[in-house]
Amino acid sequence: MREEALLFGKTRSLVGIITDPPEAERGKLLPAIILLNAGIIHHVGPHRLYVKMARNLAALGFVVLRFDLSGFGDSPVRADNLPFEKSAVSETQEAMDVLSAARGTEHFLLSGICLGALISLTTAYCDPRIVGVIPINAPRHKMAYAEDGEVRSYIINYKAVRIYWDYWKTALFNSKVWLKAITGKANYRMMIQWTIMTMALQIRSKATRKQIVSSRAKNAASDLHALTERGVRLLFVYSTRDSDLGLDYFRVVLGNETRTLVTGGKLRVEIIPQADHLFTLLWHQECLLHAMRNWVLSQNW
Amino acid sequence: MSREYVEPLYFGTNKKSLFGIYHTPQGGPTRDCGIVLCYPLGNEYINSHRAYRQLAYRLSQVGFPVLRFDFYGCGDSDGDCEQGEMRQWLTDIAAAIREIRGKSGVRQVCLVGLRLGGTLAAMAGAAWGDLDGLVLWDPVINGRTYLEELRALHQERLRIVFRDELQDTLRAERPTEIIGFPLTPSLLTALEHLDLLAMQQKPAQNILVIASHEGACAGQLREHLKSLGARLAYQHLASPQIWRGETYTVLVPHQLLQSVVAWLAEVYS
Repeated sequence: MREEALLFGKTRSLVGIITDPPEAERGKLLPAIILLNAGIIHHVGPHRLYVKMARNLAALGFVVLRFDLSGFGDSPVRADNLPFEKSAVSETQEAMDVLSAARGTEHFLLSGICLGALISLTTAYCDPRIVGVIPINAPRHKMAYAEDGEVRSYIINYKAVRIYWDYWKTALFNSKVWLKAITGKANYRMMIQWTIMTMALQIRSKATRKQIVSSRAKNAASDLHALTERGVRLLFVYSTRDSDLGLDYFRVVLGNETRTLVTGGKLRVEIIPQADHLFTLLWHQECLLHAMRNWVLSQNW
Repeated sequence: MSREYVEPLYFGTNKKSLFGIYHTPQGGPTRDCGIVLCYPLGNEYINSHRAYRQLAYRLSQVGFPVLRFDFYGCGDSDGDCEQGEMRQWLTDIAAAIREIRGKSGVRQVCLVGLRLGGTLAAMAGAAWGDLDGLVLWDPVINGRTYLEELRALHQERLRIVFRDELQDTLRAERPTEIIGFPLTPSLLTALEHLDLLAMQQKPAQNILVIASHEGACAGQLREHLKSLGARLAYQHLASPQIWRGETYTVLVPHQLLQSVVAWLAEVYS
């Protein structure tokens, strides 16, 4: 396996590393993979995870580029005033250009954790060279900061409802709770308060769902359907302990609308139990690498 | 901000390539002293990357050629995380010194390191006896204390995410991983024996010890370095412990970086 450091982009200021497959694995007609910054963490990735990803995927025959967007990691800031949502996409396209020139690749697979996931998806919507996306713990389905607050508060409320609801259901089927209630040892006032609060939260969540979620879900579904119709393969990876609520966003906003894509095999969702947002435990890192390896190998590129 | 002139590169041997970023000196005549920045390790490396880049930029703007590099098994360099070991990292520092001398033609070299990066720089200097300058930024003085700190931080992070679900991992006598990075038995043993106060030779002619907090052993280290005959400067600047921070809140301690630049600019004027 060979790694090469390079400067690229219109002003030759983006710093990246290309990982090439070992000699025996070269020459396969595979898309090149580009790993995009996980938030402000530089191209090594959280816990050096992008280096592990790059070397694992290169061992399977993929050329992998990981680089820093302007102002991130080793790449200097841009001199113009292009908004980040645009510069991130444009620089990702420059990364594709450099790989085309340097390795002759015409098709690309984008991946990244958190912000990297959002940039991957946003770029895929507008660039036909992209044939696959692996968004990891994507907090939304594209870069669009304006709608953040409302959806986020809805999801937090939705999570609270689920916790109360689960607690209430558990109590309902618990013989000890019933025994206390029958023998007069229960705190009836608290039981009634708890029940009313749970029901009220449920009703409020259902009432606001239509207003907050429905239109966004339709837009998101339309974006993702457009991708799959173009032949783009999607693997969404989520951690169950993601503090950025990625999995909850998928369940609440994307869940129903993308069901047909999942059942049709066009979109796969991989959930890593107990993992946190940045895969702190080595075991969770290994689970993520395993999921990525398996999926890229299962696709007919 | 003036334009940055950086060159990403690999150096070292074919089997053990090391990744570095070379910052070309700007702003007037090049100083006859190259600065090699030695990163700390593990999660501390990730947390301090932004501050290192800023430090390299500022040093290059006052005429220093600067090379910041990743140790073997760390960052973008060759090797898996499990392959990193202290002896290898000392060899890596020697390779980085050769590289900056070759690239810039400087005669003098100064090493700058935060936490274990500083400790390794001091150990390298003490072993070779020919280092011109050394900046120790909150260096790790005692390996056992360092391991206790890392372990406590690791447990704190796990408790936030997993609460009490990972009791076995939290209770492990000899930790096998620290905040996303493996801790091999050989590295653990090497760290347990680490003691900067046991240095027998002065690590450099000119030394700056800069502390963002007053640790228990900092005074002892200053006394020890003085007793070895080094020209020592000490600065205490209360600033955030950037290496401890959450990865998504990487901090740059501007005042501290400015002090490092000012000291180096004065010593190598």
